[in-house]
Amino acid sequence: MRYILRRLGFYLVAAWAAVTLNFFLPRLMPGDPATALFARFRGQLSPEAMEALRETFGLTEAPLVKQYLTYLGHILRGDMGISVAYFPSEVSGVIATGLLWTILIAGTAVVVSFAIGTTLGIIAASRRGGWLDNVLPSVLIFVGSFPYFWLAMVVLFIMGFTLRWFPLGHAYSDNLTPSLSLEFISSVLTHAFLPVATVVVATLGGWLLSMRNNMVSVLGSDYVNLARAKGLKPARVIMRYAARNALLPSVTGFGMALGYILGGSLLTEIVFSYPGQGYLLVQAVRNQDYPLMQGIFLMITLAVLGANLIIDVVYLWLDPRTREIGR
Amino acid sequence: MKTNSQETTASIWVEAIRKDRKATAGAIIIGIFLLIAIVGPFFVGDPHEPVGIPLQPPSRSHLLGTTGQGQDVLAQVVVGTRMSLAIGFCVGIIVVMVGALIGITAGFFGGWVDSVLSLLINVFLVIPGLPLAIVIAAYLPSGPLTLGLVLVITGWAWNARVLRAQTLSVRRRDFVAAAVVTGESSLRIVSREILPTMTSLIVAQIIGSTVYAIGAQVGLEFLGLGDVATVTWGTNLYWAQNDSALLMGAWWTFVPTGLCIALVGFGLTMLNSGFDEITNPRLRLERVWRAFLGGLGRPPEPSTPVVRIAE
Amino acid sequence: MKGRARLWVASIFSLLILALLACSDHTQVMPEGVLVVSQEQQASWIRNFNPLTTAAAARWPTLAGIYEPLFVYNSVKAEYVPWLGLSYRWLSGNQVLRVETRDSVLWSDGKPFSAKDVTFTFKLMKQFPALDRRGVWNFLADVITVDSNTVDFHFSRIYIPGFDEIAAQPIVPEHIWSKIEDPVTYPNENPVATGPFTEVRMFKNQVFELGRNPHYWQKGLPKIEALRFPALPSNDRANLALVFDEIDWAGNFVPAIDRVYVRRDPEHHHYWFPLTGSTIFLYANTTRKPFDDVRVRKALSMAIDRQFLIDVALFGYSRPSDPSALSDAYASWPKIEVSEQENWVRYNPEAARRMLDEAGLVLDSEGRRHLPDGSPLEFEIITVSGWSDWVRACQVIARTYTELGLKTSVRTYDFSAWFQNVLEGNFDLALGWSYEGPTPYVFYRWLMASETVKPVGEATTGNWHRYGSPRADDVLKAFEKEADPVKQRDLSLRLQRIFFEEAPAIPLYPNPSWAEYNARRFVGFPSAENPYADPSPNKFDRGECLLVLTSLRPR
Repeated sequence: MRYILRRLGFYLVAAWAAVTLNFFLPRLMPGDPATALFARFRGQLSPEAMEALRETFGLTEAPLVKQYLTYLGHILRGDMGISVAYFPSEVSGVIATGLLWTILIAGTAVVVSFAIGTTLGIIAASRRGGWLDNVLPSVLIFVGSFPYFWLAMVVLFIMGFTLRWFPLGHAYSDNLTPSLSLEFISSVLTHAFLPVATVVVATLGGWLLSMRNNMVSVLGSDYVNLARAKGLKPARVIMRYAARNALLPSVTGFGMALGYILGGSLLTEIVFSYPGQGYLLVQAVRNQDYPLMQGIFLMITLAVLGANLIIDVVYLWLDPRTREIGR
Repeated sequence: MKTNSQETTASIWVEAIRKDRKATAGAIIIGIFLLIAIVGPFFVGDPHEPVGIPLQPPSRSHLLGTTGQGQDVLAQVVVGTRMSLAIGFCVGIIVVMVGALIGITAGFFGGWVDSVLSLLINVFLVIPGLPLAIVIAAYLPSGPLTLGLVLVITGWAWNARVLRAQTLSVRRRDFVAAAVVTGESSLRIVSREILPTMTSLIVAQIIGSTVYAIGAQVGLEFLGLGDVATVTWGTNLYWAQNDSALLMGAWWTFVPTGLCIALVGFGLTMLNSGFDEITNPRLRLERVWRAFLGGLGRPPEPSTPVVRIAE
Repeated sequence: MKGRARLWVASIFSLLILALLACSDHTQVMPEGVLVVSQEQQASWIRNFNPLTTAAAARWPTLAGIYEPLFVYNSVKAEYVPWLGLSYRWLSGNQVLRVETRDSVLWSDGKPFSAKDVTFTFKLMKQFPALDRRGVWNFLADVITVDSNTVDFHFSRIYIPGFDEIAAQPIVPEHIWSKIEDPVTYPNENPVATGPFTEVRMFKNQVFELGRNPHYWQKGLPKIEALRFPALPSNDRANLALVFDEIDWAGNFVPAIDRVYVRRDPEHHHYWFPLTGSTIFLYANTTRKPFDDVRVRKALSMAIDRQFLIDVALFGYSRPSDPSALSDAYASWPKIEVSEQENWVRYNPEAARRMLDEAGLVLDSEGRRHLPDGSPLEFEIITVSGWSDWVRACQVIARTYTELGLKTSVRTYDFSAWFQNVLEGNFDLALGWSYEGPTPYVFYRWLMASETVKPVGEATTGNWHRYGSPRADDVLKAFEKEADPVKQRDLSLRLQRIFFEEAPAIPLYPNPSWAEYNARRFVGFPSAENPYADPSPNKFDRGECLLVLTSLRPR
């Protein structure tokens, strides 16, 4: 328990530091939201609009320290302010529009990729030197070495545009309203297929290779040899003895990957015009939308820290050695 | 541990690469690309110069066809190789150097130094890399240097974390304890006793970081965050997209560059697999992951079981 | 290994299901009569139809579809089209503008529109300066309802160009907006307006639809059922959707459009890029040497092969600027005549070299030019990293200048950083746009009026090159007071002459107004053959899209 409390304390400090950085970094950028918005229109706005914009966004001249304290207070109350790029919507509302979709595709992709990759890793390790062990990892690594957006765009072009097998973008058909009907659910599934599949293909190799390598080192350890010597069935040795332990480091990776889904689905969402929140971040930064930026940073930070904390707990449970150190 | 230190490490690596078929293949691929990067640009023309009709498919006069602006694709790929690899390797090395400096300092001195540096490391691990990159890029005129700086700032922390953990575990070993007792200077202990035990890990990290650097660089440039006036792999893809290469079916403007990136990433990963025998297998997971996530524009992985155990 | 087998079966099974799903129809079928428009690039929509807040300038249909202005300016025909306003005239020695408003207009909730709504809108902008995006209260003193069809705008000074700012203002209903506490942050989710499309039929973050106004004042219009706006995050993505018939009307930059778009379906895929955008200039910072010398500016202009630059940067979509620098939006205005000899807005490298020599920028043995005091010349041309057309133009220019002996390099910045540098005069050379109005007054004012010049370091929205011409000031002053169109034309010629003689900035090309349309389902788009209005959905700022929206009809 003390171990958990200590970690919790540490995460709090890390969160505070991240939140502070989130505040100061964007404010050091040249320009302000008004000029950013104005410049984006490339001369389509009349010069007078600049004054009105400044007035609208209420760009305050208050000292930075004071702004910072107000900001901290607001964050503690869960008030993330009003977005500039999507003025005058609440930041929380803006983020909420895409959050579920991002979690849906990125979360599914991570889970599927982890499940398939890890299974393949176990198989590859249990048949060292076989086809699965020799060729598949290399192929997957090679595929994964392509820039993700490149892969995704080519896939979209072939499967979506040329062959018309899959829809070209969005989370569901524009003609449908969200409901629990079969039609809607199948629409969501077909729309999510390409985004999820490309991420899975691109990341599969990583899970496979790490699981395989862990398996290989675990399979060489004494207790596995002992189990084998006892005459247990190979399948039982592999699943019960080796895989369970080899999974340990992969669980860390899995947890972290889950923590990063909020920040990591950016390119997927751009290529597939998926209405998640990954692209919001780029728009926030480019529009110098401080409140939105801070809101998204905060979400990502919390997700990562939360994932870290969960991993800590899971580890405590999985790996008795950690408990020793905790004391 | 200490017995196989400096004099033999080099030969161990060569041996490891030679022994492992995959590592050999990786080394050959990387060798070819290094050769292209070094001498290639002398054999092709100016990649900026419009030399022919735009968007011509590969032909004898333009082996890889022309871009949407009539530039020679081959010249762009070759010149891009030099720039991209230069940034990739430089960033890879600097990232690990910064990581080593901070990580080893934290691990070696412990106490409040460790607390402060660990906090710093963890904060940088938590901050999303891409927005940080955009913010930094906004101060400085875009260009290879800015991009490199951005990648270093967003990439060092993971290395620092692993090296700190490794230092912590080495620090407890007898030979280091002995050196401390005999009153050797900290600098000497670090450079003579601790660093040699970690050379292979550091080399593996440099390779891994290079993969990350190339992937992240291409991603940022593709989003238009680099200097699109320079010729790199990332800007090649940016311009290909800009000229609607996909729509026009002009595969030759983006396939060669994509293939090069994939080959280099593949080669480096394969090369690294050759070091598996001499590096701590527990650390491998994170390295592989990191390379993959880096390519996706994701920040590097922060957590490692090693840290937990070492703490 | 039972578990494994089960897993395989499960995964194969789910793949099959997906494959089955995939085999269903994926060419998105558009409902009958729904026009799909792509104008701004957004990853997801936020429900906001506030026509007054400046920040919402982005929400295209709000300004040209839902709400309407008093007069719509048709930039192709260069005329005002009476809209909510019927007619206008100047009274009391041009101090008062009287506008007659249209009778029998209803708000979309069925309540009648009257002159009082106009007065209310302008008063609201006075009360909340954040809503005054055209700065009308810089020249207005008061707005008074004369009767239910008449509004008087009292000016604080004679300022004829102010009419345009008043004409373009979207009008909001008093009976709704008078009850709103903070109109600046009011999201106005269910707009009540006078425009052709006021009913929000559906709103999701990936797409929204606007249906017909049941009480629209133009009887029988609009002929289209609804407007649909899919959220597309990038230009590239929008272009894909356009090419594959998912979008009916777009205002995007499409590279090599004849090959990419038209050739796929020549019968239905059309575009028309009239050159009615703002003029793109190369601004030389006149506070820095040697750009303070008019001969240098003219030489820099003559060195540029504009046609080549347009071919490389803009796929040939424009034409080289002429000595007036005006775009085709001013086609009805007379232009000055200049002799080939003195024309500096054309490609003439020999003359450029000669003029640089004359200005004392002598060439050394290594082919580099120096200032008369011997210091070598080295420039930076700054632009925005994401704006590919400008980056390419800058590359062409930099190479040209370097060949002339003026070492020039291109520096790209993220746009807010670039804009900040430009605003504060912290640059050597920069590409930039011009500001436009119905008369050339606004255009030349931001190019050379002394009052727009700010010292380096202080941000200014226009006149980034910081050039003030006392001669131009007098003519501009006269322009402000001149309501007679014939005399305005004389003044315009005088401004053109001053611009031509003093060369405050280097015009490159007029920007096209981007417009692509798909005639598969709808007809009636403006085209070169039928140029009844500007075809671009980007022309929302002055309500010009209304002309197109009320002319389109389903096939």
